[in-house]
This record gives sequence, structure tokens and C-alpha cells, in this order.
Amino acid sequence: MRIELKGVSKVFPDGNRALDNITYREDFNALAIIGPSGAGKSTLLRILGGLIEPTSGEVAINGKRVCYDEKHLIQYRRKIGFVFQAKGLFYHLTARQNIILPLVNVHGYTKASAEASADKLLDRFGLFRDRHKYPHELSGGQQQRVAIARAVAVKQKLLLLDEPTSALDPELTSEVLDMLDELRNEGLHIILVTHEMGFAKKACDKVMFIVHGRLAECGDSNKLFTSPETEELAGFLSKVLEWNVSI
Amino acid sequence: MTIYSLFIRDKDNKTAFLPKALNILIAVALFMLFFLFSYRRLGMEFDFSFLWSFRYRLAQGFVATVELSLASLVVSLFIGFLSALANNSRILVISYFSKVYVQFFRGTPLIMQVYLFFYIIGTAWGVENRFLAGVLILSIFEGAYISEIIRGGLESIERTQLEAARAIGLKSGQTMRLVVLPQIIKRTLPSLAGQFASIIKDSSLLSLISVIELTQTIREISASNFAIFESYIFLGLLYLTLTFPISMYTRYLESRYSYEN
Repeated sequence: MRIELKGVSKVFPDGNRALDNITYREDFNALAIIGPSGAGKSTLLRILGGLIEPTSGEVAINGKRVCYDEKHLIQYRRKIGFVFQAKGLFYHLTARQNIILPLVNVHGYTKASAEASADKLLDRFGLFRDRHKYPHELSGGQQQRVAIARAVAVKQKLLLLDEPTSALDPELTSEVLDMLDELRNEGLHIILVTHEMGFAKKACDKVMFIVHGRLAECGDSNKLFTSPETEELAGFLSKVLEWNVSI
Repeated sequence: MTIYSLFIRDKDNKTAFLPKALNILIAVALFMLFFLFSYRRLGMEFDFSFLWSFRYRLAQGFVATVELSLASLVVSLFIGFLSALANNSRILVISYFSKVYVQFFRGTPLIMQVYLFFYIIGTAWGVENRFLAGVLILSIFEGAYISEIIRGGLESIERTQLEAARAIGLKSGQTMRLVVLPQIIKRTLPSLAGQFASIIKDSSLLSLISVIELTQTIREISASNFAIFESYIFLGLLYLTLTFPISMYTRYLESRYSYEN
């Protein structure tokens, strides 16, 4: 999958310049967006997901320019999956109903076929037993796995994830990352904002490193993690990997 | 079970059924004894027997109060919901209209509103039917409270829930119907149920414009036989039969909601 960003900037109404003229072009299977907190990573992901509009600049996926008016965006969002850091499941619905809702109301499934699809997904990801539980009755890891299942339920080609594991304990983090890895191996394209450097290095082929709204460095993940070119990335990596024994 | 444990709450704040029932009984008995004692000091005896001869009128009044309250609940929910939406409107005059409405009706006594609206606005616009006028006045009054309850519910919806709705491709109307409304209803149901109890009690003030409901019926009966105390004690009991179950239901809803958070 090919992603192209041309001079993408975002200035919020309060004057905060979250993204500053980002230009980037890359073919990827899994793209990790890394960088310090407040760098603009989530803002970039929301622009890619069609949830907010860039102040200026262009975005294209597979050569198709994203048109940022609400009518086109609704169609655009339906084709990609989006998973939030936490609380993205609807509180008032069970795990199963959360998956069924977009199938019926967005993608035009009948109730019966939506239920069948949902059960298949839940079964596949080991969530079948908990399908009638509400989000508050599920663990954080289960919640995120349901959210991912919902986001890929109609075989979306692209899945965007905004720090999907940062609210989770380590063992729950790995169950979510395992699921993502499995989906990636089946050809799902992933763009994720993450602090899990192990996952970014091992499971992602491309990396964007963003600092203060600027694209400071980008390229193959192997290269970036082993021989960073900028001092900023070298400094960032030495900080985040200081206590990390697995890399 | 020791005597102590029958009367003193456990450290973990749980109360078993027997101590609960026993102590409620004692509390109610004390309450009634105080009342009876006061009454005896006045040197009077209770005699409720006359009420039986008014049973049909009382039943009619009771039904009228229930009807009045239910109709007002429906209309006030509608007004309250519209007002809560209007409050958030980007069109300033709509937003301020809603704010002025809420401030005025929450900030003035219902008795004033009943008189003012029935005799000035009701007359000017030809609302002759007293039941209808009663429902309208009560609904406008209660709608101001319900508006605030629903506004609180709207504000409690987290941003991520709305973003998630957008992310899966829902249109704004669908988001309202499938995500926002069900969540607001779940969260505001305890307060709305409580408000329904208020509606039932507040409907008694409509007797001032001679809407024939429970209070008005009692007023008429007591005016004919001067058994004012018995009449009003009985009136209180009748209102309690309506409001007490609602109050219990409200507490049940509250406990369920607090558990979910």
C-alpha cells in the first residue's frame, strides 16, 4: 500500500501548530509512527483516518487523493478501520452488538448475517465466551481486541491504531500485539502510533519519527532502529530503550 | 445473631433483611406515633369512615392525577429534549432562548406560573380545557428541569464515543440515534424517574385552577364535611402509593449505573 503526504499541516483553532508541513511518500505493509508525547502523532493519524481535516496539504492512499468534505469522508471512513487508545467501544452495547452495529447500519448487512459474521470474528479471536459482556465487564486487552475485530469486520484493507496498547498491562499488551501481527500476516495494512518499540521494530517494515509536528526521520524500521541518522532519533531511542532488554 | 447486630450496621455497611425490616418498621411506627400524639393533644379522634362514601370520586381523582402526570411526563420530556438540544445550538438566539426558558421556569414558583399562564396566556390564546391547560403548564415547568438533566447527559458523553461513531462511518443522525440517545437515556433514567415523582406531586398545584385531580377532589370533599385532617392524611397516603415505587425504582437504577462506572 502506498501513502503520500504533501505539505500536510494542522493548526488548531487555539493556535497550536500540531503538524508542520509533512511530506512523505512510502510503500508499506505496516507503518509505525513514533515520537515523543505531544509531537502530533495522533493528529496525523486522525488526518489519515479522515476524522479531522488538515489545515493545508494533501493526503493520498494508493494514488487516490483523500477529499476532506463530510460526504466523501463518510465513504472513506467506511473503508478503513480505526482503533482508539481506549474507550472506543460503545458503552451501552455488548462486545457482539458493538461489532454488529456498523455491519447493519453502515454496511447494509441483514441482522442474521451480521450476527453470523460477528460470531465468526469473536470465535476466531478467542472472544466468543465473552460476547455478551459489556465493555466495562471486559479486560482492557479484550476491549481492544473487540475494537480491532469491529474495525476489520468487513475486511478493511487498512487499519489505523492510535496507541492501542498504551493503557494496558504488559501481558495484555502482548495479546493485542499478537492479534495485530496475525492480521498483518494475512495482508492487512497497518498504520499505528505506538510506544511499543519492540513491535515497531519487529512487526513494522516502515517507521515515521515525528518531533514537534515535523517529520524528523523516516525509512525502513531495521535501519532506523539500528543506525538512526538524526541526533533527535538517537536521543529518543536511547531514552525509550534504556530499560528495554528485549531489543 | 446478637441483639446488637439487629440494630447496628455492620462494618462493611451491609444490612441483612431481618434487621432492615425490623428497623424500618420501628422508624415508621415512631413517625406515626409522633403524629398521633400531636393529634391527640388537640383532643380529636380520627374518623376515616366517611371516605368510603366518596370512593368513586376519589378513584376518579386518583386516575386523573395519574393521567395528568403521564401526559405531562411525555410532553415535558419532549420539551426538555428540544430545549437541551437548543441550548447547544450554534444559532445564538435559539441557544439563549433555551437558557432564558430554563432560568425563568426553574427560578420562579410553580404557583405563580400556574396563575399567570392560565389566566393571561391561557385566556389570550383560548386554552379553555383545564386538563389540557394543566398538562401544558406542568410540562413547561418540568421541561425546564428535564432540559438540565438531559443537558448534563449530553455533556457526559465522552468525545471518544463520538469519534468512534464517526470512525465506523455513521452519519450524524445515526450517531444521535444509535449512540448518543441510548447512552443518555441509560444515564439520565434515574434522574428522570425522580423527576416523574416531582411531576406527580407538583400536579397537585393544578387544583388552584380547578383541574379535577386528586388534590382538588380532596379539597372539595373536605370543604363539604370539614374533615380536613383525615382528608389530607389520606391524600398524602395516596400520593405516596404513586411516588414510593418510583423512588424505589430510582434507587435501583442509580445503584445499577454506579456499578457500571
